[in-house]
Amino acid sequence: MSNNDKAKFAFYWASSCGGCEIAVVDIDAVILDVAALGDIVFWPCATDFKYKDVEGYDDGFIDITFFNGAIRNDHEEHVAKLLRQKSKVMIAFGACSGLGGIPGLGNFYTTEELFQQAFEHSPSTVNPDNVRPQPSYDVPEGTVTIPAILDSVRALDQVVQVEYYIPGCPPQPQWIAAAVTAYAEGKLPPPGAVIAGESTVCDECPREKSDEKSITEIKRIHLVENDPEKCLLEQGIMCCGPATRSGCEAACVVAGQACRGCFGPTDEVVDMGAKLVSSIASIAVPETQEEIDALMAQVDDPAGYFYRFSLPTSMLFRSIHDMTEGQ
Amino acid sequence: MTEFEPKLIGFLCTWCTYTGADLAGTSRIKYEPNLIPIRVMCTGRVDPQFVLKAFRQGADGVLVGG
Repeated sequence: MSNNDKAKFAFYWASSCGGCEIAVVDIDAVILDVAALGDIVFWPCATDFKYKDVEGYDDGFIDITFFNGAIRNDHEEHVAKLLRQKSKVMIAFGACSGLGGIPGLGNFYTTEELFQQAFEHSPSTVNPDNVRPQPSYDVPEGTVTIPAILDSVRALDQVVQVEYYIPGCPPQPQWIAAAVTAYAEGKLPPPGAVIAGESTVCDECPREKSDEKSITEIKRIHLVENDPEKCLLEQGIMCCGPATRSGCEAACVVAGQACRGCFGPTDEVVDMGAKLVSSIASIAVPETQEEIDALMAQVDDPAGYFYRFSLPTSMLFRSIHDMTEGQ
Repeated sequence: MTEFEPKLIGFLCTWCTYTGADLAGTSRIKYEPNLIPIRVMCTGRVDPQFVLKAFRQGADGVLVGG
């Protein structure tokens, strides 16, 4: 542990894929500025600090914690609370931490359904004795424990207070650099700010929009050749641009892929799924109920598509059919 | 256990459904008090988020009238 007056940074991953860790390294030469600006005092992915080191720090010892990943189990919840206590500024880093992310789609199912899929039904599972992981297990040497899964996936700010959000799956280098620079210059925005653009991906998108009703059928992007000049949504390809915060320079759409919504909703949007349904409705051609039903039936997994990154922080939060069945 | 009384939210267009509800009132026609009307200038103003928010805050049903 260093005792100089340099800033102290911590990085942590909870329920995430590891892409956010790569994004940190992806800031390129700016990482040297980070190193010049501060010391890393905790980063399980890259350094050898232990949890007991963190427990030994004074409260507020860490200047900024960059926390990626959703809260899926009780260990992640514990570490989130520990890091909150030890940090002056907590940044929800990436879509999972800020919105719930891909792991958050687990909220469409009960824990039992998820376990059945993972330990019984998935095509790659061979488990004739139906073994399930136990949070604690007694062996001759003592009791072995693993983290226990929580009922619902939560975003970081549903567990602890969060000062800033750097969205994205993964976060884009320019916004990570912007956050670090703002901190270095003492120009951090008011708490609660999302460090990214303020309008929508559509605003940044170079594709041409006609503002005419044009969706007659829904197409999947890998099954058709799309016109690189025209708006994907108007071509009938589901694109999350209208409800998604800007800041990525429409990177996916420019590369020929539809926006997946990883930057989360803009300040004006509360529920991305509802907003996307509204966007499609405004440019869909069908007018009778039957035609509309037939059109929307062409969307594979609409709930998963429209809430891909934001289910835990949407107005839905989770499905509750388990609770009604249990009564 | 008392009989179930649904809480309903109605997003009513000011030019038709809301006027209709108003006319029912001035005509002294009685109707159940379960519906809480919210007047909008056009049902085109109703965002799907309004409907979700109504359910989220405990509505049993939502009526969009217009």
